[in-house]
Amino acid sequence: MVTVDSSTVEPETVEPGKAVERLNRPRRRRGIQTTRGYRVFQVVNAVVLTGVVVVTLYPFLNIVARSLSDEAYIIAGEVSLVPRGFNIDTYQLVMSDSLFWTNYRNTVVYTVVATAIAMVMTTCFAYVLSKHHLKGRTVLIGIAVFTMFFNGGLIPNYVLISSLGMTNTIWAIVLPNAISVFNLLVMKAFFESLPVELEEAAAVDGLNTYGILLRIVIPLSKALIATMVLFYAVSFWNSWFAAFLYMDRQDLLPVTVYLRNLIAGAVGAENVGAVSEANEVQAEATLKAVTIVLTTLPILLVYPFVQRYFVSGVMLGAVKG
Amino acid sequence: MFQRVRRRAAVVAAGALTLSLVACGSGDDSEAEDLSANRAGAMSELGVDQQFKATEPVSFSVLYNNHPNYPLKNDWLFWTELNKRTNVTLEPVAVPLSDYEQKRSLLIGAGDAPFIIPKTYPSQEDVFVSSGAILPVSDYLDLMPNFKDKIAKWNLAPEINQRRQADGKFYLLPGVHEKPWHDYSLVVRTDILEELNLQVPKTWDDVYTMLKAMKAKYPNTIPFSDRYSQPNPAGNLLNLLAASYGMEGAGWNFQHISWDPTGKKLFYTGASEQHRQMLTYLNKLVKEGLLDPESFTQTDDTARQKLANGKSFVISGNAQGLVNDYRPDLAKTLPNAKLTKIPLPIGPAGEINPAPRLENGIMISKKARDSKNFVAMMQFIDWLFYSDSGQEFARWGVEGTTFTKDASGKHSLAADVNVIGLNPKAPKHLQKDFGFYNGVFTYGGKPELVQAFFSPEEQEFQKVMNARTPRAVAPPYPFTDEEREQVSLWQTPLKDFVYQATLQFILGQRDLAQWDAYLAELKGKNMDAYMDKVNEAYERYQKEHG
Repeated sequence: MVTVDSSTVEPETVEPGKAVERLNRPRRRRGIQTTRGYRVFQVVNAVVLTGVVVVTLYPFLNIVARSLSDEAYIIAGEVSLVPRGFNIDTYQLVMSDSLFWTNYRNTVVYTVVATAIAMVMTTCFAYVLSKHHLKGRTVLIGIAVFTMFFNGGLIPNYVLISSLGMTNTIWAIVLPNAISVFNLLVMKAFFESLPVELEEAAAVDGLNTYGILLRIVIPLSKALIATMVLFYAVSFWNSWFAAFLYMDRQDLLPVTVYLRNLIAGAVGAENVGAVSEANEVQAEATLKAVTIVLTTLPILLVYPFVQRYFVSGVMLGAVKG
Repeated sequence: MFQRVRRRAAVVAAGALTLSLVACGSGDDSEAEDLSANRAGAMSELGVDQQFKATEPVSFSVLYNNHPNYPLKNDWLFWTELNKRTNVTLEPVAVPLSDYEQKRSLLIGAGDAPFIIPKTYPSQEDVFVSSGAILPVSDYLDLMPNFKDKIAKWNLAPEINQRRQADGKFYLLPGVHEKPWHDYSLVVRTDILEELNLQVPKTWDDVYTMLKAMKAKYPNTIPFSDRYSQPNPAGNLLNLLAASYGMEGAGWNFQHISWDPTGKKLFYTGASEQHRQMLTYLNKLVKEGLLDPESFTQTDDTARQKLANGKSFVISGNAQGLVNDYRPDLAKTLPNAKLTKIPLPIGPAGEINPAPRLENGIMISKKARDSKNFVAMMQFIDWLFYSDSGQEFARWGVEGTTFTKDASGKHSLAADVNVIGLNPKAPKHLQKDFGFYNGVFTYGGKPELVQAFFSPEEQEFQKVMNARTPRAVAPPYPFTDEEREQVSLWQTPLKDFVYQATLQFILGQRDLAQWDAYLAELKGKNMDAYMDKVNEAYERYQKEHG
């Protein structure tokens, strides 16, 4: 954490909100001239970062271009940033199937529910573990960490879920992975670094444990929570294996399994020896690109909305030194 | 407590009984097993090609491999008509095709498998046998007259015997073909052949002559640049050649053990004289610049690109690749080019058709044996998968609705039904809208049936291949569990080494004069010990069940 010179904080500003507001105000750099070295740094910085942007953006734009291109041009390696032989046939093919939309809806539902459950569970567990005076704390941490390295294996897991009667229900997907131990440890470390004085002050003002968690700790942890929501949401969005294991009906599967199956069908030699009809030839290369676009786009759209919570220095000046 | 003891005693007694039954019966005896409690819904007698109909409504769970091209629908005519004809309702457990095998292992391992487990390829059943979760179907063949009939009529006993495990039983009901169906071969630019005034090559020596002539005319090309090199080099080419030279398989069908039908013995494929001859042939092609050395490493896309850009004229392929890949590729770049899949070139092994006559089939969950409908289920499976009328139903559907038959018995698709481009304008689809010609339920059969939906060009190819003799089938040499474990420890290093040497010899990095040194190195990798185990298993099986 950043420690702050006490002279910049006025005595009254114990309330965190106000402190943030005050400190986020840009300070005028009066009288400080930018040096030559600094300007050179800025130029180099800009060039390097532009390079990074290009390197990260190019593959994605290339995939978008491929998804809109004719298979032949992709095979010939002629598609870079601009689609060649522009067509949206593969999009139409994928999206005209009602099962695609059913499965897409499943993905959204599973992701939202699973993320909500995971956030509640992880936050509660992490907060408890961050309290050093908790008896048996190391045992609890040990149990959590143990699962990072060992698990029961596929078949015992399956038997467990199925004997709990959770197969073919949403619970098979949203409950077993509710706590990611990695995320748990990150949250625990963050909560531990929160100044204990804040909570003491809140307790003095009459808040109980839940009040402290809900009204002090969580509002102060928005950046962390936004990060965790993103971690969880992305992992649930991309996950297919749990659904594949525990779901026996195609209308319960998420869109990831649907698209995975679609690619397998296009690649596989199921109809060997037969002439496929033109509209059935699912161009494999295009299909892969379309799949990537359709599955990543929604999650990419979430980023800008989460972005605003990534403010640094929330805690600046909350405690007098 | 007493109850439990009694039950245990009963189990032990039953076990002893079955053991003694197994011991005295070497074949597929099942008469002695008491099935009277499992006959609910069964017909008293099912005859060959008699319509099966359960005497009361019954339902069976079935693992369903869900193909994205025709996703499962509950209102398919297939289900309703099946129910009407047989009184059977199937309850599909839908699994995406992409990961079917994994889910199958999981469900069997967890003891949750449906009764009927289709789409299992021969030898995939091996790993499940020792778990005891799969039914030894060979004990119940008396319930399956159509299956027995096809095996006898089509002479499939050697193929079926190959599926037997160390206990002399087999656990898979495979799809059976009357004629082998071979698909892969070489795809050749026939316009270049015409230009050079050459015939379509018949033998591998003709292929050499053809490539030589192509090279002479176009010295800047390497006429043969092959694909299918991921994950292993030249998967298809090596496999085709191995079969033509009288070996069991190489490349993507890598087989350690081959069978010599004249000498009646098993031999190690990679150490055989046939293997050396094959390598000599390929080495000659590479040395003279006729076969692209990159064939063994390049990606499929690169190989396709070379063909499309006229940098090569010959490539491996199958019927689907020809129509879906090569022709469209070439249509864009070289519109005058013509491509044909030539009949598999003939090698020293003579005019053989190397394709196996068994295809994917059905495993049955052991749990099904205890069902009161067990007999009805076996009769139902026998009818649907092995009777002529059942096979016709699964492939063509319902006469008058999805197909018509003329006086000679030739099938044709109904005018308003399409499948794989036969009636491109038709509003309905045989697979998508009716659920017939479904990979889960349609296996094998007579050539007329198997090739029903092939293009004329492909039917022509199949006619040539059908005229050839099926390959001699190796006898069974089933391992015990311990042997299988030991052997698999030897197999991997041997396979890696054979691959490595194969490439070195072909590409000329190692002189074929060093063949004897290579054989010595193979021995250093336990080849002899491996062969001893194989022969031991072979002889044991011959003694016990032969």
